[in-house]
Amino acid sequence: MTLRKVFRHETILALLVVIALIALDRQSDNFLTLDNILNQGRLMTEVGLIAIIMTFVIVTGGIDLSVGSILGLTAILIGVFWENVGLPLPVAIGAGLVAGTFAGFVNGIIIARFRVPALIATLGTLALYRGIAEGVSQARSVRGYPEWFYVLGQGEVLGVPTQLWLLGLVAITAAIVLGYTTWGRTTYAVGSNEVAARFSGLPVDWTKIAIYSASGFAAACAGAIFVSRVSTTRSDMGTGIELDAITAVVLGGASIFGGRGTIIGTLLGLILIQALKNGLSLAGVKSDGTVVLIGAVLILTILLSNLFHRDTNR
Amino acid sequence: MTDLIRLEGVSKSFGGVRVLRDVDFDVRPGEVHALLGENGAGKSTLIKIIAGTHAPDGGVIRLGDEELKAITPRAATRAGIATVYQELLLFPDLTVAENVFLGHAPRTGLGTLDWGRMRGEARELLDSLDSHDLDVDVNVGALSVANRQRIEIAKALSQDARVLIMDEPTAALADADVKRLMAVIKRLRERGVGIVYVSHKLPEIFELADRVTVLRDGALIGTRPVSEVDEAALVAMMVGREVDRLFPKPHPKIGETVLKVSNLSFGDRVRDISFELRRGEILGVAGLVGSGRTELALTIFGITPATSGTIEIGGGPVAISSPGQACGLGIAYVPEDRGHQGLVRPMSIGQNISMASLGNVASGIFIRFAAETRRAVASIGQLGIRARGPDQVVGQLSGGNQQKVVLGKWLETSPRILIMDEPTRGIDVGAKAEIHALMGRLAEQGLAILMISSELPEVLGMSDRVLVMHGGRLVSTIDRADANPKSVGAAMTLADEAA
Amino acid sequence: MSDENASRFRARRSAPARFLSTYGQEIIIAAVILLLFVLVSSINPRFLGANNLNTIISGNAYIAVAAIGMSMIIITGNIDVSVGALIGVLATISGTLAVAGYPVWFAWTAPILIGAAINGIVGALVAYGRLPSIVVTLGMLSILRGGLVTVTGGAWINDLPPDFHFAQQRLIGIPAPIWVMVILTVLAFLWMRHTAFGRSLYAIGGNAEAARASGIPVERRIVQVFMIHGAFAGLATLLFATQLRIIQSTVPPNLELTIITASVIGGVSILGGTGTVIGSTLAAILFSTIGAAMIFLNISPYWLRAVIGVLILVTVLVDMQRRTREIRKAKR
Repeated sequence: MTLRKVFRHETILALLVVIALIALDRQSDNFLTLDNILNQGRLMTEVGLIAIIMTFVIVTGGIDLSVGSILGLTAILIGVFWENVGLPLPVAIGAGLVAGTFAGFVNGIIIARFRVPALIATLGTLALYRGIAEGVSQARSVRGYPEWFYVLGQGEVLGVPTQLWLLGLVAITAAIVLGYTTWGRTTYAVGSNEVAARFSGLPVDWTKIAIYSASGFAAACAGAIFVSRVSTTRSDMGTGIELDAITAVVLGGASIFGGRGTIIGTLLGLILIQALKNGLSLAGVKSDGTVVLIGAVLILTILLSNLFHRDTNR
Repeated sequence: MTDLIRLEGVSKSFGGVRVLRDVDFDVRPGEVHALLGENGAGKSTLIKIIAGTHAPDGGVIRLGDEELKAITPRAATRAGIATVYQELLLFPDLTVAENVFLGHAPRTGLGTLDWGRMRGEARELLDSLDSHDLDVDVNVGALSVANRQRIEIAKALSQDARVLIMDEPTAALADADVKRLMAVIKRLRERGVGIVYVSHKLPEIFELADRVTVLRDGALIGTRPVSEVDEAALVAMMVGREVDRLFPKPHPKIGETVLKVSNLSFGDRVRDISFELRRGEILGVAGLVGSGRTELALTIFGITPATSGTIEIGGGPVAISSPGQACGLGIAYVPEDRGHQGLVRPMSIGQNISMASLGNVASGIFIRFAAETRRAVASIGQLGIRARGPDQVVGQLSGGNQQKVVLGKWLETSPRILIMDEPTRGIDVGAKAEIHALMGRLAEQGLAILMISSELPEVLGMSDRVLVMHGGRLVSTIDRADANPKSVGAAMTLADEAA
Repeated sequence: MSDENASRFRARRSAPARFLSTYGQEIIIAAVILLLFVLVSSINPRFLGANNLNTIISGNAYIAVAAIGMSMIIITGNIDVSVGALIGVLATISGTLAVAGYPVWFAWTAPILIGAAINGIVGALVAYGRLPSIVVTLGMLSILRGGLVTVTGGAWINDLPPDFHFAQQRLIGIPAPIWVMVILTVLAFLWMRHTAFGRSLYAIGGNAEAARASGIPVERRIVQVFMIHGAFAGLATLLFATQLRIIQSTVPPNLELTIITASVIGGVSILGGTGTVIGSTLAAILFSTIGAAMIFLNISPYWLRAVIGVLILVTVLVDMQRRTREIRKAKR
């Protein structure tokens, strides 16, 4: 993971982002306005939080398909704790976050202790957690939250959407942790060669459990923000968000086999996807057309990345 | 008697490194021709050329009547050349019969698989190898390694093998299985099959082979009838020097006991082991592969924590249930499988060297990259690692240098006890000598070294004492003065009387 | 007891023991289905009514058929998360052809070929592009889903010709979906078991390198198996689209999850190499049984997903335990 190699994919991606931004700006006057950018940032936060932590997950060679379900489950639980159990809202939110983190912790245990492959483990918990959300909510939605709650999802602090501050904080922290700390080094080692990492005395199992718990926490936060943003709670929230997050991470240069990936890359991937979605929509392209484009971009990116990294890939 | 295969003046290089130079080799029908040599001598390359996996850069190959530049895989199959490799290529979820006939299964008129014929012929093949106890319908995954090997042989025979190459066949076998394998090979010899038997186990070569060829550093040292040589001659041919002079061992300064193991067990792989390891001592651990040596190391190191028994370090009892704990107690383990267990190949030298001692190069959780680089540079100098710099990716280094990086990683943890598992496997002779010299120096400085090795010359040359394991038990402890190929070899192949 | 005798004992097993161990998963699922039937009908005898039985067995027939193809994919060690979107697309194509006046049989069979073609591309990317199937099919999922809505503009297809509804036809009283499901399952099972092609899929999933060394054309097989999987998706579409009055231009939610789950619970291991299509078909029936049972027992059907999630996890945990035990045994 020398600096030179890291920058190769990310620089190309950054270039792509710039090109895309310029091209999209040409198509519509409203694209590169401050208002629009901040608003896009707001919309991007939920996927962003999840994608940033998903970077850690994918760098260890794992995957977490259950994040969307954890998001939905947290949303439901917040509603249930507040409305049905009668807890004060802050406590309800806290309890929801704890529940979401615990859900991630369970993922970690299944994957690290029981050695179940991450793909199938999180496929199972995707069903389980979504199922619990549906069962608990019985498909009813909760509304009527107090005004102050909506500040999180719909309000601003110093002119910048509230959740964007959170995203920024998490992004910077994650980048520092992954790139400059022993935890980050352990993450890369586990993804590159888990056996050697274990034989070197690194705490492989605990690292994984911590990362999956963090993934659950990020999904839970995203859930709280989502509820605050759309002013309601529904059990199908977050469906499909795992695909967007994983796309952003892979687009950002992470190898699905583990051992490679950066937060900057993921952020660039996120920006590119959001810019495409928004820019094309402003230019009159239907959002579904954009979805097609993103899928194609994903496949092309890994195809090219594979060709370049033949030597280091397994 | 015409040869089945004859190689003349064959050479091969990989990426500029000469692996074989001007080697002659031939196989006659109905003989066992042993191929002997240390690791890195060129044995695997030679057999891969015969099997058709590699093409030589120079020389001539005579296959029956034809004269070729190289053998293709198809030509090999046609000529009836089959190989049984160490890493068995079998499918655990398919049955024995399927595995034997994979790729060339008998078909019915409809084109579907003819299970009846497949099972019947598999049965015949196994019976011809005296393997009546193997059931053709069982999944291979449920079978032991020894049984799987017999299936590999049956697989080779199913393709009408006339030349059978066996690469270190007894490496993973227990004693009874070795005997059975020898019987099978003798049968094959009677049938006129020419067998190339690659091994460095001298006792087996003397029991089984008709001729032996010794390679050293890619060159042919000589081909002799087995009746005309003895162990000492073979070792001398393999190693090129008198064994005593190969491993200069300065007068050891052996101190107090640092590691004491009492009745240590792990399931049935490690049984009731007791021994002591002292400061400045190099304790060799010999035994057939499968005798439990690596399992013992993994138990002491915490990968597979002991199920019973005690470990005492520096006089006090300890419980070791993870490598992290072992490391904290001053135990270091240089693993057998260097590439898979010892190094993270895509990472740099610096990152590998600091991996077990991140605390040394970090303030809290933050890595100080300058410190890491400094330490790596120091390591590179001290161990004589040949590389472009601390940023070079370890995957690009040669075997010997990679091993030094692993050693460097563990030396950074300032261990008291260093366990080395096959320290010079797959390393060229030059680097081997360097590593042995390093080990000698480390012992002199007070490190206690537990050295597991399958190479008898290394065990005899380096150890102050030799522990011999068999079937998970410690069967013998031999002092340096009494250790020689006969005494150690005899202890290694001792029948399991304690069972 | 010496090592010799131990290995001798382990090497031969009686026929009944082998049957149980090979088909254990299928037997368990069948047993659970039976158990559920017995339990629920004792509480509510209407459970055994002909209508209910029909719903249970033919309702999920399309899932069972799609799961056949999915099982083959998983056996080779790959996965396809885009199959739900593919079925949605194929259903729309099928409906569009029927409404546009093409003969009904054409509307039924065109999706099979188109499905094979689309998945053939996926297979090529996986096999020759050496891309991990999870990522390729994630991308394909986006392309298909977005493409579907873009092309149709979100419009639904009504006024389907009356003879379009294949799924509602019956042959000697048994609904067509059941016939298709059973025949395809049996054929696929025999084919996987008795042809070199079928066995090679297990080999590839078990150890791709060894498979290649044994002369199996691994890349070609992977493309072929993805195409077959696409064809089965087309067959599933036949059963799926023709039971509806209206074809929506959206992708049925979570369809791929249900199909993958049916395969996994049916005994196909995500680690590749084991399992049969009979298991996945039985699993599909199990799902509809559980769903129906919950209705008849007045348990809110919203808990169905949670139950399925638990089933996956239990199945996989048990599978992992079994594998670790086998590895430990074989290391002697």
